[in-house]
Amino acid sequence: MLTKLNIIFCSMLRVLGRDKGVLIFCILLPLGYPLLYTWLYSNETVREVPTVVVDQCNTALSREYIRKVDASPDVRIVAHAQDINGGQDFIRRREAYGVIAIPRNFERDILRGQQSSVRVFVDMSGMLYYKSILTSATNVSLEMNAKIKASTRAIKYEDVSLYNPSNGFAGFLIPAVLVLILQQTLILGIGLARGTERELKQFTGFQQILNVSDSQRVTLATTGAFLLLYIPITIYVLGIVPKMFSLNTIGNFWELWVFMLPYLLACIFFGLSIGSLCRQRESIILLAVFTSIPFLFLSGVSWPGSNLPPFWKNFSAVIPSTYGITGYIKLNSMGAHLPEVWTEWRNLWIQAGGWFLLAYFSVIRQLWPESFHEKPTDEQQEITNNSK
Amino acid sequence: MLEILKREIYALAHEPLMWFCMIVAPLFCVVLFTSMMEEGLPENLPLGVVDLDNSSTSRSLQRNLDAFQMVNITESYTDVREARKAMQRGDIYGFYYIPKGLQRKANRQEQPTVSFYMNYSFIVAGSLLYKDQRTMSELASGAAIRTALFARGATNNQALAYIQPIVVESHPIGNPWLNYNIYLSNTLLPGMLMLFIFMVTVYSFSMEQKRGTADELLRMAGGNMFRAVSAKMFVHFLVWFTVGTIMVVWFYEILLFPCHCGMPVMWAAMLLLILASQAMGVFMFSALPTPRMALSFASLWGVLSFSICGMSFPLMAQPAPLQAMAWFFPLRHYFLLYVNCALDGYPMLNAWPHVVCLLLFVVLAILLTPRLKYALQHYAYEA
Repeated sequence: MLTKLNIIFCSMLRVLGRDKGVLIFCILLPLGYPLLYTWLYSNETVREVPTVVVDQCNTALSREYIRKVDASPDVRIVAHAQDINGGQDFIRRREAYGVIAIPRNFERDILRGQQSSVRVFVDMSGMLYYKSILTSATNVSLEMNAKIKASTRAIKYEDVSLYNPSNGFAGFLIPAVLVLILQQTLILGIGLARGTERELKQFTGFQQILNVSDSQRVTLATTGAFLLLYIPITIYVLGIVPKMFSLNTIGNFWELWVFMLPYLLACIFFGLSIGSLCRQRESIILLAVFTSIPFLFLSGVSWPGSNLPPFWKNFSAVIPSTYGITGYIKLNSMGAHLPEVWTEWRNLWIQAGGWFLLAYFSVIRQLWPESFHEKPTDEQQEITNNSK
Repeated sequence: MLEILKREIYALAHEPLMWFCMIVAPLFCVVLFTSMMEEGLPENLPLGVVDLDNSSTSRSLQRNLDAFQMVNITESYTDVREARKAMQRGDIYGFYYIPKGLQRKANRQEQPTVSFYMNYSFIVAGSLLYKDQRTMSELASGAAIRTALFARGATNNQALAYIQPIVVESHPIGNPWLNYNIYLSNTLLPGMLMLFIFMVTVYSFSMEQKRGTADELLRMAGGNMFRAVSAKMFVHFLVWFTVGTIMVVWFYEILLFPCHCGMPVMWAAMLLLILASQAMGVFMFSALPTPRMALSFASLWGVLSFSICGMSFPLMAQPAPLQAMAWFFPLRHYFLLYVNCALDGYPMLNAWPHVVCLLLFVVLAILLTPRLKYALQHYAYEA
């Protein structure tokens, strides 16, 4: 029993090692993508957003306001315009992303003890422009308000941002992308292998000695082969990449592994099940690549998970990355310990179990005698010959 | 020509994968994203509070904070440790910490500090909370003063002017509700369509090569590669354009996303995106005529488009080489056309370079047809 498992396992490793597609999707892609993405978001946040000022007041107070906004790190005043329309012309030419307009009676109103409003127009092509310009304007007015009132506030407030010190984009998106890459590349690699098997109607060149009683061994060998391949890859993607780009890594190494084990297993079985849908080598690429974007959103990283409609919440419960991503962020970015990710961990085991049954079933089906002795069609035979 | 059309229709109709990638999956994504973010702006984000003071001041403070639409104080904790654990479990996105002695200190004018701890590893939730956070705190702390001012006989306006002399009034152009559905779906979903177009176009040429039917295709076109490609792509185009039309109608006629330019202009932009994406797909296979490489190229370009188009993270904050590369991504041009026409309401002419760029993709694909012909005739399928 063990020797046969051994033979299947070794031959599987050999076949995978020779497959250039598997090389691309399971090695090059997990090596390269994290670097590309982290580099892309390395600036973390947008600074010095070009903004136009319309100063209709033109007094010491309004000039002070403008000077302070310009001095803030997020906004750069690029021009002064006569009126709002003139300011919006800059937005039309995409030379600026916002207009800050100070009303004619700004100083007079404030000196008279009346409220005065500064109007901020922001181009909504990106939420980050909105955030930068509005935050700077608000901060400056709060600062000046405190001075104008010349009295202390009854209660002081402070904001403390946790787990993403720079409030940056990389700090929030990259951990999710890293975990997702593991799942997506596993699906691609396994699907590629299964599509090839189905195309060639053989299990790793061992079709003569394999029959349906070997289903367990084949499932076990595939799982083992991919798990073996993904241990170093997981260490690289989740351990080395965040360090290289100094992202938050406050998780405990062993706790991370305890958490990642069911995740990798769930991904492998998920991949095996989906892979069984592939009639050809190339099918899986069309099936799997696009899912990265919906999977990312369903994990609750961008759109808050608490506000996901119930239907999609249930839908997302069968996808390993949903729990993998939240669990990893909690452990690694937020310094949580295993008890805090118990729900995710348990759900990953349940998923692993469920997907294992489906995967096992699909292997049995593939090894079932009828489909096994089915003659390859001429077309497939031709392809087999071509590829040899 | 007609023969090629028939052949292609037959090929697409007999492959379940094509039905899935051309119709089922793109429309599924449209439903998924637009219904997922139906709320527009997430409301009632769960927050916690740690009230060590437990006085009438601290309770009135809590009530004031809870009244804001964006947040919902769901839980109170006895100490910070417990609140932090709840945050790590994901029960809450942030919590207020009200220290002991708040009321006493406030009455003595000693300025106690109330802290707000916010989880920024889920940025949207964090940013949304931050948006009003500063003003919120200002107003809440002002509430105490306002009571005093009213007692002295100040009018509401006088009290407001005293608490907040300068107000910032925000006017988000085109999307005043800060609606995330409008913000994301408008670019994300055409982007998904583009990704499918890349994939299917490359796949369909890969299959010609794999099945050894490229010669047959060329023969049917009388040896004219341009004719063969355009006939093949025309069949695909009809499907894509139907899906694209459904998307545009869904956005601007049914969900009523803001569209200053009117639906037909965005329809035209969608047409340009589809043509450019198909051309890009042809280019990908011409440049790397092995299925493995061309599909990898399509995946890389397609997935990268979502980041490089600048819809979520502005292009100006990305590294310089990527800023230059952005010109080679159809989605970048579509995104800028959408911002220009639908969101800001300027005529398409104002963004003419992007129209030209989208058309240049088509020219690029046409220029490469001889290369494609050579590739299909001479490169054998390689697994």
